[in-house]
Amino acid sequence: MPQIIDAAVQVELSADGDPRAFVWDRFEHTIIGQPQAVFSRTRWWENNGTPTRIDTELWRVDAAKGDEDQHRYDLRHDADGTWVLALDWG
Amino acid sequence: MSFPHLHVASAYSTHYGVTLPEALAEQAAADGATFLAVTDRDGLYGAVKHVRACQAAGIRPGLGADLEVHDDDTLTPLGRIVVLAHGGGSDPSSAGRGYAALCRAVSSAHETTVRLNGHPPSIPRGRLAELAGLNSLTVLLGPASDVGRAVDRRDNLQARANLADWQRVMPPQSIALEIVCHLAEPGMPGSVAPATRMLALAEHTRLPAVLSNAVRYGTADEAVTADLADAARHLTPLAQLQEATSLQVNGQAWLKPAAAMRQVARMVVDAGQHSDGALARLLRDTHELAERCALDPAADIGLGRPRMPEASVIGVTRDPLAELWARARHGIDERYAEAGRPLLTAAHDRLAHEMSTVQSLGFASYFLTVAKVADIVRDMGIRIQARGSGVGSVLNYALHTSSVEPLGNGLLWERFLSPERQTLPDIDLDVESARRHDIYRKVFDTFGASRVSLMSMTNAYRGRGAVRDAGLALGMPDTQVATIAKQMWRFNARDFRAALAEKPELEELAAEVRESAQLDLLVDLTARLDRLPRHISVHPCGVILSDSSLLDRTPVQASGMGLPMSQFDKHDMDPMGLIKLDILGVRMQSAMAHAVEEHHRLTGEHIDLDRVPLDDPATYELIRSTRTLGIFQIESPGQMELVGKLQPEVFNDLTVEISLFRPGPMKNNMPLRYLEARHGEVAPDYIHPRFEPILRETNGVVIFHEQVMRLFDELTGCGLGHADVLRRHLGRPEQLDVIEAYVRENALARGFDAGTIDRVWTVLAGFGSFGFAKAHGAAFALPTYQSAWLKTHHPAAFLAGLLTHDPGMWPKDLLVAEARVLGVPVLGLDVQHSALDYRVESVGAGQGIRMPLPELNGSSDAERARIVRHQPFTSLQDFRDRVRPRRRTFEALARIGALDSFIGHDRTRRHELLAHIQSLRGTAITIADDQLAFEVPLPVLEYEGARFDAVTSLQLRGRTQSDLELLDTGLAVSDHRMRKYYPLFAELGVTPASRLANLPGGTDVLLAGVRRATNTPPMRGGRRVVFVSLDDGTGPVANVVFFHDAQERIGGGVFQTELMLVRGRTRRSGARGVSVTGEGMWDLVTVARERTRAQAKAAKAADGQAERAPISTPRPRRAAGSGTPPFDLWSTRSA
Repeated sequence: MPQIIDAAVQVELSADGDPRAFVWDRFEHTIIGQPQAVFSRTRWWENNGTPTRIDTELWRVDAAKGDEDQHRYDLRHDADGTWVLALDWG
Repeated sequence: MSFPHLHVASAYSTHYGVTLPEALAEQAAADGATFLAVTDRDGLYGAVKHVRACQAAGIRPGLGADLEVHDDDTLTPLGRIVVLAHGGGSDPSSAGRGYAALCRAVSSAHETTVRLNGHPPSIPRGRLAELAGLNSLTVLLGPASDVGRAVDRRDNLQARANLADWQRVMPPQSIALEIVCHLAEPGMPGSVAPATRMLALAEHTRLPAVLSNAVRYGTADEAVTADLADAARHLTPLAQLQEATSLQVNGQAWLKPAAAMRQVARMVVDAGQHSDGALARLLRDTHELAERCALDPAADIGLGRPRMPEASVIGVTRDPLAELWARARHGIDERYAEAGRPLLTAAHDRLAHEMSTVQSLGFASYFLTVAKVADIVRDMGIRIQARGSGVGSVLNYALHTSSVEPLGNGLLWERFLSPERQTLPDIDLDVESARRHDIYRKVFDTFGASRVSLMSMTNAYRGRGAVRDAGLALGMPDTQVATIAKQMWRFNARDFRAALAEKPELEELAAEVRESAQLDLLVDLTARLDRLPRHISVHPCGVILSDSSLLDRTPVQASGMGLPMSQFDKHDMDPMGLIKLDILGVRMQSAMAHAVEEHHRLTGEHIDLDRVPLDDPATYELIRSTRTLGIFQIESPGQMELVGKLQPEVFNDLTVEISLFRPGPMKNNMPLRYLEARHGEVAPDYIHPRFEPILRETNGVVIFHEQVMRLFDELTGCGLGHADVLRRHLGRPEQLDVIEAYVRENALARGFDAGTIDRVWTVLAGFGSFGFAKAHGAAFALPTYQSAWLKTHHPAAFLAGLLTHDPGMWPKDLLVAEARVLGVPVLGLDVQHSALDYRVESVGAGQGIRMPLPELNGSSDAERARIVRHQPFTSLQDFRDRVRPRRRTFEALARIGALDSFIGHDRTRRHELLAHIQSLRGTAITIADDQLAFEVPLPVLEYEGARFDAVTSLQLRGRTQSDLELLDTGLAVSDHRMRKYYPLFAELGVTPASRLANLPGGTDVLLAGVRRATNTPPMRGGRRVVFVSLDDGTGPVANVVFFHDAQERIGGGVFQTELMLVRGRTRRSGARGVSVTGEGMWDLVTVARERTRAQAKAAKAADGQAERAPISTPRPRRAAGSGTPPFDLWSTRSA
C-alpha cells in the first residue's frame, strides 16, 4: 500500500536536469537509475483563473537512504517550482 | 548542444497550432537551435512566414506538412504522417527539388477533396511515393500513422505488416520512424511505452528513428490556447471533449529546449530493451535528417526571385523589353494623337524615363503581362479600369492598362515604381463585378492552370469570434455568449480586460465579470485567441500570375468557386517573387455596363464611356446640384454636402473632392482649409513661390502624396524616387527627426530660408501618412464622372443599371423614389414584360424602367426562367400551364398586379383573380415548348357578374398598392410609400425635402420621411454625431444631423425609428449644401394614428353637437415666426 507523505522536499538535479537526490526528513535519498516523469492533465476550466500549466508534473523515482533498501516514490513538481514528496510506494 | 525540431505546427495550422512562426523561430534560436522545421497540417500555410522568421533569427528553416494518407486503390485511411522536404545541400542540381515535391504533395492531398467530394485532404500513398523519388522527401511515420496506431494498441504484428506495406511502396531511404513521447500517464497515448516500442520497431527493421515533440505551441503555458483550438475545431465544449478523450493528453506538446528533449530521449530509451548506443543513435539520426531537410531560402524555395510568365505565353516572340518599347511608343502616338506637339513630346520623354526604370528592374514582362490581362478583359467586352498608383504611369496609359491620362492630371511615376522601392509593383484592375469569375476563368485558360492561381487570405480571430469560441470551449450558453459578443467592438480582444476597466458602456459587463469566475476566465481566454489565424479563404481579388514553375513553388487547393487557390496570402507574394494582380469586381462598372447595354438594346446606339468628353457642362451641373444619388463615390450624405460646398467645375475638382473625403484629411480639417481658399475667403498660402507650381491645384493645401513627393524633391533635390521613400517614412514617428535633419540641411543649401523651412516642415510632419495618392483619386474620379454623365443624359438606363447591380450605399427603394423624381416611370412587375434584370422600356415619348422578376420575394430561379422563356402568355391558363408556378408565387404575382394583363388591367378584379387562383385544384397540365396552349375559355371571365363583384380577398383588403408591393418585393413602385402621409404633412406644415435648398439658414422646419441611411462618421472633437437621411418622396434625401444633446433627449429612437417626423433648424453649408440640425423627433406612425383617432373623436363630437370642436391632437410645436410658407407639393403631386 502506498503511504501518503505530502511533504515539501529539497531536490537536487543532475547536470541533465533529472532529479538526482532529495532530502526528506534530514536524510538524503539518492535516486537510482533513470527517473520517469509523468504529466497528467487537469480540468483547468473548472478552477478559478487561467492556469499557466494544464497538467501536473510527477516524477516516479527509485531512491534509497544510505544503505537501506530502495523504495519507489512519487515526487510532485508544482508550478511554483516547489517539490513535494507525494507518495512512498514501498 | 542543440535539438532540431522536425515536426512543428504553427498557428497557421488553424484550430490546431497556436504559436506564430516568428515566435517559434525566435524561441528556437534563443535555445541555441540552428534548425527549425514547420510542418503545418494539410498545407504550407505558414511556410513563407516561417522561412523569413528563420532568416531573421539566423537559423536554417525546414519545411514539411502534416498530411493524411490513404491507399490509392482501397481508399483505406493510413493515418497522418509528416512529409519533409529535402534541401539541395551542396548539390546545386537538386536544389528546389524537395520543396517542389512538397508543394505537389500538399496540392495532391487537396485534389482528393475535389475528386472524392467532401473527403478531407489526403494524399494517395502511391502519389506520395512518386514524389518522394530522387531523394526529394522523407516521410515520418509517427504515432498518428497506421504503423504508430498499431504500436499504440500493442499490435506488433499489424505494426510490422503496415510498415512493410510502406516499405514496399515508398522509394528506399524515404522513411523514418518518428518517436514522440509527451510523458503522459502510463496506458495513455503519448506515454513512454508506445514510444519505446516504436524505437524497438525501428531497430528491428533497421530504419532510422528520429525524435520529435509533435509540437503545437511554443511554450508550456500556451497549452491552454491549444485546448481552446481543439474545442473550436470539434465545436464541442472542453468538458465534453475530456469525456470523449479527444483533448490533448497533457500540455507537453511545446517547443521544448534541447535539454528537455534529451531528457525525453533518455526516458524513452530507458523504458525499453534497446541495443547499446540507442540513445546516441536516436539523437544522431534526428540531427542527420534535419541536416538533409535544411532548406536554402534562395536556392531551394526561390525566395526573392520574381518570376513572370514566359514571353511566349503573353504572345511575345522577341525580347520582352524591345516588345514593350515598340508597343509603348505606338501607344503614346495613338493616345496623344490629338493632344498637340508639346504634350506628345512630354509623353515620349516621360516614357523614356519610365522605361529606364523598367529596364533596370527587369520588369518588362510584368507590364506586358498586366497589359495582356487588360486586353483579355476588354476582348471579353467587359469594362475595366485601372486603379492605384499604377495609374500614374504613362506606360500603363500607352498600353491601355489604364485609362486615366497621367501627365495632365499631374500624376507621378515614382509613386508607383522607382529603383528605390524594394517591392514588386502592384496594379489593380477594377472590372464589372458580375463578370469577375468569367475573367478569372479566361485568365486561367489563357495563361494555363500551371501558371495561374487565386490568392488566399488568412482570416484571424477578432473580438466577436474570439469570445464566441472561448465561450463555446467553456460550455457557456449561446445566448449569454451572444450578448457579450455584441459588445465586442471598437477594441481589440487582447485588450478586453483593459476595455472593461475603461469603457463606461461596458460597466455592466465588468460588474458581472467581477462576480463570476467563469466570466473572468472567458475574458482571459478571449484575449488569448485574438489575432490567431482562424481559416483561409479566397482573396476577393488577388490573382497570381507566374511561369510554369508556379505549382512547384506554391501548394494550391480548391477555392469556393472551384478554381485553384494558393495557400499563400498577400504577405507571402512579394518574398516569393509571385506577381499578384488585383482584379476587383466593382458593381458600379457592372451597373454602367448594364446601362450602356440597355441603351444599345433600345436605340441601337453605342456609347463608349471611355471616350465621353470629360468637360460636359450638364454633367457638372448635375453634380453641383448635389443630386448625386447613385453616382460613384459621391453619393453619401457627407459627400453630397462636400460636393455642394466644393461645386466642382472640372475633372480635377472631382479628383480633389474624392481625395478630401478620407478619414485623414477630414480629421486634419483639410476640406475646410481647401474650401476657404477655393472660394476666395482666404488667399492661398503657398509658403514660398517655389512651391506655388506644386500647390496651386489645391490652393496651397497639401492633399496628395504626389505633392508631398514634389515638395521633398524641391526642398532637397533628392529625386522623386527617394522623395517617395521619405514620404512613406513620414508615417513613422521615430523617423521624423532623421528626415527633418535631412530636409533642413539640404533646403538651406538649395536657397530656402529657415522660416520657410520651419513652415513647410510643420506641414509635412503634420501630413504624416495621411492624404491620398492623386493617382487613386483620379482613378476613382473617372467612374464618378462617367456615372454622373450617364445619370445626366441617360437616367432610365443608368437607374436600370443601378437597380440591377445595386452598387451603392442606398436601399433600392430610394433609387426607385429617385427615378420617380427624375421623371423616369418605374413599371411594376408584369409576367408579360418583366425580365430577369431591370430593363428600359419606351413609355410614350420617354423611357421607363421595368421591375424584373427576381424582385418578387420567394419565387424560384426555375419559375422565373420559365416565365422569361415563355413570354408573352395568351391567357392565365397558358401562363399556368407553361410556368407551373407554386401556389405561393402564383398568389404573390396576382397580389402585386403582375397578372393584371389577364384581367384587363382592372385592379378591382384582383379579388376575383386571387379567388380563382385559390380555387384551382390539381396540377397544371405540362405543355411541351413546341405546343400551343389549350384554347379553353379564361376561367376568370366566368366570374363576371354582380355576384363576383362582392368577392373580397383578405390578402388585399385595406392595403394600398404600395403596401402590397412593399410586402412582396420591398419596393414601392407605383407610388412613394410616404404618399399616404401627404395629407398629414400638409396639415402639419412639413417642409418637403426638395424645398430645403431654397430656405435660408436658421429656418425652423418640420421634416418627415422614411429613414434611408444612418451614419456616425468620425468627427473632429470626438463626440458622436448621428446623420439620418430621410426620404419623403419629393426629391433627394434630407440629411438631419443629431448632435450629442439631441441624441440624449431623443434616446434610442435616433437609431430605431423607421418613419420619422423631425423638428429642426436648417444649416447652410456652401452654395447648395443644406442640412437640418435635428432638435426633436417623433415616430410618424404614432403621430398619424393619434391624429386619426382625434379626428374621429372630433367628428363624433361634431355629430352630437352640430358644432365643430377644435382638434386636440398633440402636435409637434411649430416654431413661432418661422415663416415657413405652406407647401402645395403635398396636394398637387397626386398619384
